[in-house]
Amino acid sequence: MTVPDTGQLSSPADLQCVREELLSQRVPSAKSVHVCTGPGCAAKGSPKLYELFCEAVKQAEANVEVQAKAVGCHGLCEYGPIVLVQPGDIFYQRVEEPDVAEIFRETVLGNRVVERLLYENPATGQKAETVDKIPFYKVQKRIALAYNGLIDPTKITDYIALGGYSALAKVLSSMTPEEVISEVEVAGLRGRGGGGFPTARKWRSCREAEGSPKYVICNGDEGDPGAFMDRAIMEGNPHSIIEGMLIGAYAIGSSDGYIYVRNEYPLSVERLKLAIEQAKELGLLGENILGSSFSFDIRINRGGGAFVCGESTALMASLEGRPGEPRAKYIHTVESGLWEKPTNLNNVETWANVPAIINRGGEWFARIGTKKSKGTKVFSLVGKVVNTGLVEVPMGITLRRIVEEIGGGIAGGKHFKAVQTGGPSGGCIPEEHLDARVDFDELTKLGSMMGSGGMIVMDEDTCMVRVAKYFTNFLKEESCGKCTPCREGLAQMLYILDRITDGEGQVGDVERLEELAELLEGTALCALGKTAANPTMSTIRYFRDEYDAHIKEKRCPAKECRGLFRYEIDPEACTACGICLKNCPADAITGEKKVPHKINQEKCTLCGICWEKCPFTAVLKV
Amino acid sequence: MLGEMPLHRSVKGMRKGKPVPTVTIDGCKVEVEKGETILDAAKKAGVWIPTLCYHPAVSSDASCRICMVELDRGDWRQLVTACNYPVRRDIVVYVSSEGAQQARRGVMELLLARAPESQELKALAERMGVKETHYPKVTESQRNCILCGLCVQVCEEIIGQAAIGFAGRGVDRVVAAPFRQPSEDCIGCGACAAICPVGTIKVRIHEDEQEVEISPFKSRAKLLICEECGAPIISMQVSEQALGKVEVNCEEFRERVRLCPKCRRSQTAARLKAAKFCKKE
Repeated sequence: MTVPDTGQLSSPADLQCVREELLSQRVPSAKSVHVCTGPGCAAKGSPKLYELFCEAVKQAEANVEVQAKAVGCHGLCEYGPIVLVQPGDIFYQRVEEPDVAEIFRETVLGNRVVERLLYENPATGQKAETVDKIPFYKVQKRIALAYNGLIDPTKITDYIALGGYSALAKVLSSMTPEEVISEVEVAGLRGRGGGGFPTARKWRSCREAEGSPKYVICNGDEGDPGAFMDRAIMEGNPHSIIEGMLIGAYAIGSSDGYIYVRNEYPLSVERLKLAIEQAKELGLLGENILGSSFSFDIRINRGGGAFVCGESTALMASLEGRPGEPRAKYIHTVESGLWEKPTNLNNVETWANVPAIINRGGEWFARIGTKKSKGTKVFSLVGKVVNTGLVEVPMGITLRRIVEEIGGGIAGGKHFKAVQTGGPSGGCIPEEHLDARVDFDELTKLGSMMGSGGMIVMDEDTCMVRVAKYFTNFLKEESCGKCTPCREGLAQMLYILDRITDGEGQVGDVERLEELAELLEGTALCALGKTAANPTMSTIRYFRDEYDAHIKEKRCPAKECRGLFRYEIDPEACTACGICLKNCPADAITGEKKVPHKINQEKCTLCGICWEKCPFTAVLKV
Repeated sequence: MLGEMPLHRSVKGMRKGKPVPTVTIDGCKVEVEKGETILDAAKKAGVWIPTLCYHPAVSSDASCRICMVELDRGDWRQLVTACNYPVRRDIVVYVSSEGAQQARRGVMELLLARAPESQELKALAERMGVKETHYPKVTESQRNCILCGLCVQVCEEIIGQAAIGFAGRGVDRVVAAPFRQPSEDCIGCGACAAICPVGTIKVRIHEDEQEVEISPFKSRAKLLICEECGAPIISMQVSEQALGKVEVNCEEFRERVRLCPKCRRSQTAARLKAAKFCKKE
């Protein structure tokens, strides 16, 4: 497909013409092979697969209409690399280089399905031929990720052909800024970056704020451990963000936009840069967009690697070239933000939802979700579930459905213990609340939060005190150090948590943690500090018995804290093979042939090598 | 209506026809200009709020969090920093409520754990009713510094040198000159030492080398030495900068600047004495 040579588009009708021309070029019987090049699949070698498919396309006979496409993240990262053959939605998983020729020969040319590469439901053993038959996708509803996996993110024509930039055309040709804001208000869209602030209200405050110029910012500084929602959108469908920002800027009355992306996402930066260039070439960014009086330009700024720069005021400080440290928000950024001008900042996912809301109407969007949380939310589902990956679900879905239906339950037949939502400042939700609905307020009530959408599932082998310690340490490392409670308080909390996991916890430590948590929540300067105690507080709330076991009994119930459990050999299971004995670096294991081995507890250094090496799981943690 | 209310007269809640916000602090009502802070209001009301990182000469960063007060939000109370919370409408604030005091004491305990040797901090703690901290010392990045940032601000905003700044992040944060090396930008004025609320920054005079050192930044500057008695007067650069800012026509002034205050006084006295003597003759 080539861009029809129209130069710059000077009216909404021009855009429509381009779309129609693009669609008319399509051959209905044409096949296309979509190779996922999202981070998960790319790590497993999908770019090479894409090259091989391109090669195969080149060598195919001239009368075969086929193309290969490198597309953004499909979501089911656990089963990557993923290849889809269209039309037909045929889904191949764990594709390797030698499979390329077979897929091409059988499916593309021969219209036959390669059985062995299909997804197999681990529970039922049933093979799924198409995407919609895979349980992982069945429950999902995709708005922000709708085009991920369908379009080549490096081609603006792919986006336009599917209706891209039509929302912008609609806004510029038939809606006033106030109507745009009202539409978003009807939709009930709330900020997807974590705070959940009503987007329309933010836009309106910024529109009404005094001062010019006004700035529009896209926050792409996604820093939560294990989260890659925004990355998937930036790399899989960058134009949706640009279109969302254009609409927002029109509504607010801004002509300057910034996208702040973390530098650790080089591909996101590259894709966004390319997308901006392409939009400029077509006149979708720049002066007098689509012949209107509206002008808007976007610049990209790369973050320097600080987690705290995801906080809006720190991000703006960083954008201005100052150290990324937050400031008090008593005067909101919509009044005085970047360079003390009215600034509207939204997260990547929030922006990506906007075109769909304009195209399909606020009422359509508001029908999805719960009373106060509308639409869908993208989560990166990671941890001890079978199907790790990227999921987009309607608000109000229960955690249980996400973990069990989409995630496929706990891997390795283990038992579910908790799910951590909301990134490092979120909390752990235990099994008894698995039926809670995923929405902003419900998760907050449970002591966690929506956050930007990280979801880490933990099984019975996870020590909850260690989880609290991990996140507290992360936040301590990422604290900018500006305000006393966050800088000193987190160090004090970590000191106590360290002591507990080392088996030196003292009676009263939990109360001391609670006291510090309350202090942090009340007195810290920014949201990072105010919510930093959530991991500790939620684990104390739901897993107090684990804290008590560590402190009073010097025992780690999950058997993760070294020194708070010991290794023993089960004489029934031991076959006296001698592997543990040979591998023990401390010579702590004794035994002879045909006699079950024993661990000398005094010599044992608790390194765990015997436990790892035993082929008969005869070494136990007790 | 207008006839009944002459605009020039100050009416309660109005000033020059504009509404003036009222702040109710612990039950005491004061009027403030729009944009003034809760701390300004508290000063008017005669209510003491402890501060550390606040100084009227520099912009407010609200980093120490010692001035927390409770703001009435109707059905709940929000802890805010008094030093930079701008009053834009009528508000009700609690300074001595249990919640506000507990917050301030908690912050003070954390600071005491960080800077246990500062007498100034101990004195403030005592005034706040905090006898000791039950936290151990766990952060070591800069001895006895509470990282309030006043020194950094005064150096940049008032002196205009920006010789020091923050380095490191989180618990590793320190105040330092670039690369933690002595800075050539430091003119040895000692403003940082003067503004430091916990007495951590010191001005040291090295008489032998005729230098002034700002501790702990290790920056040194040459001293102007009294031409009469050889006593150190002030950093040379500070003197030069000061002279650059005033217009001096009298050459005698320039000469006299090179004397220490003591010698200047005795020289003046001597001249006056001589002048008197001459007149008599």
